[in-house]
Amino acid sequence: MSRVSVVIPVKDGERWLPELLAALAREAPDELLAIDSGSTDRSRELLRAAPGVELLEIPPAEFGHGRTRNLGAERTSGEIVAFLTQDATPQPGWLAALRAGFALDERVGAVFGPHLPRADTSPMIARELERHFATFAAPDGSPALQGPGDEPFLSNVNAAYRRDCWEAIRFRDVAYSEDQAFGRDLLAAGWLKAYLPDMAVLHAHDYGALEFMRRYFDEYRGLRETTGHVEAFQPLGALRTVRAETAADLRWLRERGAPAGERARWAARASVHHGGRRVFSALGSRAERLPAPLRERLSLEGRADGGDTAAALPPATPIAPLRADDPYGAAARVMRDGPAPLLPPAPGLAEHERLRIALVLPPWRRGSGGHNTLMQLLSRLERRGHVCSVWLHDPHGELRALRPAVLRRQLDEWFAPFGGPVYAGFEDWHGADVAVATGWQTVHPILLLDQTHARAYVVNDHEPEFFGTSTERVLAEDTYRHDIHCVAASPWLRDLLIERYRAPADAFQLGVDHAIYAPRPDVARRADTVVYYARHSTDRRAVPIGLMALGELHRRRPQTRVVLFGTDKPPPTTFPYEHLGVLAPPQLAALYAEATVGLCLSLTNFSLMPKEMLACGLPCVELAGVSAESIFGADGGPLALAPLDPVALADAMERLLDDRDAWERRARAGIDFVASHTWDVATDEVEAGLRHALRDPEA
Amino acid sequence: MAATGTERDAELEELRARVAELEAELVEQAARTERIVAAAQQRTYWLDRWHLDLDALMRRRAIGAPLDVAFRALRKLRHGLQKARRRLTGP
Repeated sequence: MSRVSVVIPVKDGERWLPELLAALAREAPDELLAIDSGSTDRSRELLRAAPGVELLEIPPAEFGHGRTRNLGAERTSGEIVAFLTQDATPQPGWLAALRAGFALDERVGAVFGPHLPRADTSPMIARELERHFATFAAPDGSPALQGPGDEPFLSNVNAAYRRDCWEAIRFRDVAYSEDQAFGRDLLAAGWLKAYLPDMAVLHAHDYGALEFMRRYFDEYRGLRETTGHVEAFQPLGALRTVRAETAADLRWLRERGAPAGERARWAARASVHHGGRRVFSALGSRAERLPAPLRERLSLEGRADGGDTAAALPPATPIAPLRADDPYGAAARVMRDGPAPLLPPAPGLAEHERLRIALVLPPWRRGSGGHNTLMQLLSRLERRGHVCSVWLHDPHGELRALRPAVLRRQLDEWFAPFGGPVYAGFEDWHGADVAVATGWQTVHPILLLDQTHARAYVVNDHEPEFFGTSTERVLAEDTYRHDIHCVAASPWLRDLLIERYRAPADAFQLGVDHAIYAPRPDVARRADTVVYYARHSTDRRAVPIGLMALGELHRRRPQTRVVLFGTDKPPPTTFPYEHLGVLAPPQLAALYAEATVGLCLSLTNFSLMPKEMLACGLPCVELAGVSAESIFGADGGPLALAPLDPVALADAMERLLDDRDAWERRARAGIDFVASHTWDVATDEVEAGLRHALRDPEA
Repeated sequence: MAATGTERDAELEELRARVAELEAELVEQAARTERIVAAAQQRTYWLDRWHLDLDALMRRRAIGAPLDVAFRALRKLRHGLQKARRRLTGP
C-alpha cells in the first residue's frame, strides 16, 4: 500500500485545528506535517501537543501558496502527498478513498474530493459547492477520471498528488491559484486526475458579505495572474445573473424545508452576495489597473502588489516539459547517444528453428493496408513456431485510451490471427533475437532497444515521399542510413534503398489471400462498371488525377457506372458515381467480382490492391513508370499501365471496356500471374530477410 | 600439462553444445512468458475494454460486498441445481 504524507499549511488556524487533527488521528495517514507561517493564536501549541504531528515553522514573509506546498512535499517522504487547509475536516473514509483513487490508473497524478458545507454555512455557498462538485463525478456519482481537454480544476483545500507527478511538475511560485495552475500543467504533461466523491472534507469559508467580496477580488486576481482569465462584466447581464442565482438559492432552501421567514431573510443576503461577487470578481481580474492603495483595501489578504503587469509583458504561461509523448525524442536520443549496442553475435543463431521476433508497430486503424501486410506475415511466422510479440510505439497517444488486451484483440480481429502478447510502449522490453521496425517512426525507437541480437526493417513504402520538405521527411530518410537490414515490399523498393541509401536490403512480394480473392463464377459480372480506390486522405494515391480520368471517361461514356470505395467521406466530383465507403475483404472480393475495370493508383511503391483485383479476374489500370514494372515486367503483363495523365488513364480504361478480347486476355493473365503470390511465399521471403539480418552482425 | 588439440576441440564442442542448450532454454522460457502474457490479455479483454478495475471496484464497500454476496449465492444456486440434475438424471 502506498505511504501517504499529509501536509497542512497553518496560520492562525486555532478555530478548526482541533477538529482537523482529531479527524486525521482517526484516518491515520503515514506522516503528518504542519507548516506554520507565524500564527499568533494557539495554533502552534495545538500542533505541538498533537501526537504524530511534525511542526515546521517558517517566517511569514517566506509563505507562498505554491512555494510552501513544494516545501511540504520536499520535507515528507510518502509516495502520495496530500494537502489540506487548516479549516478542512476529512470525513470518515477520506484516506481509503484517496488511496483507491490512485489505484484507478497508474497515470493518475492527482486526486481531489468534494468540500461539504458545515451546518452553519450560508445557502449560497452550500448550493455552489454542491453544484460545483457534482459536475466532476461520473453520471452514477462514482469517481471519474479527467484527462487532456477536461476541466483543469484542482483545489488544495483537499487534494493529493502522486510524488512522481509532483516532482515532474511542482507548484508554481504564485500568489494564488497554484492548484489551478498545477491542474493545467498536469493535464498538459499527459497525466490524469481523478475526482473522488468519497474523499470529502467539511469546509466552507465563513465570511461576512464584505469579506466574501474581498475574497472574490483576491481569487480572480490570482486567476488572472496564473491563467490569464479575465472575468467579463456587463451590468445588465450581471443583474440577470444575480436574480437567477438568488432565485436558485431560495429554491434550494425551499427544497430543504426552510420556512418562509428564513427564506426572506436569505433573499436579501443572497442578492448582496451574488451582486458583490460579480463586481469584485471583475475588479480582481483587472486589479493591475487599480491604484495600489485601493487594491490593498479591496484585498482580503491586504495585497497591494501586482499593478505592474499591464505595463510589462502579458502573463506568460509556463509549460511543463513533455513526459513520454515527444514524437522526436527517440530520434534525438539516437543522434545524441547513438544506437544501443547489439548483443554479441551468436554463431548459428540465424539458422535456429525458433527465433524471438519483436515487431514494433506504429498506431493503426481498421482497414490499414500496411498493418494488414505486417500482421499477415507475423501471423504466419508465429504459426511456424517463432516466438512473436508486438510492441506499439505511439508517441502521439493516438491509441492511448486502449489497453494492451484491447490492442491485441484489434490486431487479431482486424488483420490476422495472432496468439502472442501486445505491449504498449517499451517499459516491459525484455529483448529479442531480432527487433523489427515497420515504419519510419519505429526505427529510432528500435535503435534504442538493448538485449537484441539484430535489427531489421520491413519497409512497406518509400516513406520520405509521404512528406513535403519537413522534419518528418528528413527523419524518414535518416531511417535507411543506420545499417538496419531492410526487407522491402517490392524489388523496386529494394533497389531504391540500396542505390539511394546504400542500405542492406532484401525484397518480398506482397501476398494475396486466395481464399478471399478468387474468381466468383456465381456472381454475374456487370458490363461497363469501373471501380476506383479513391482514398483521398492518402496523397500518394493521386486521387485528384484519378477523378480527372474518371471525369474524362464519363464525358466520353456517360452510361458507364462508376463506383468509388476505400474512404468514408465521398469526394466531390464532376460526374455522378456510387459510393461504398470502406469495405471489408469479403466485400471487396464481391465488388471485384461484379466490376468490369479496376482503377488503383500509387505514386510510390506498388500496393496490394491491384493484385487482389487481378486475383478476382478483374483487369486493372495502374500508373506506368513508378514501381509496377518491377513486379509485372516492362509492359505491365496483366496490368494495363498508363502514364500519370487523366486522358491516358481514361484511354486505358476505355480500351478495356470496349475490347472484349483484350479484357478476357488480361483477366486470365491476371489470375495466372498472381496465383503464385501468396502470403506463405511472402513469409518465406521475410523470414529469409530476418535471418539475413541476424547474419549481418556476424559478418 | 597443456591440453592437446583434440582435447581442446572436445572441450569447445562441449561448450558449444551447452550454449545451444541454454539458448534453447531461453527461447522456451520466452515462449512460455509470452504465452502467459497473451493468455492474460485474452482473459482481461472485456475488463480492459470497459476500463474496469475489478480490484478497485470490489474494494468499494457500497458495491464490493453486495456483489460478492450475490456472486457467491449464484454460484451456490448453480451448484445446487447441477447436483439436483445429477440426482434426477443419474450419474
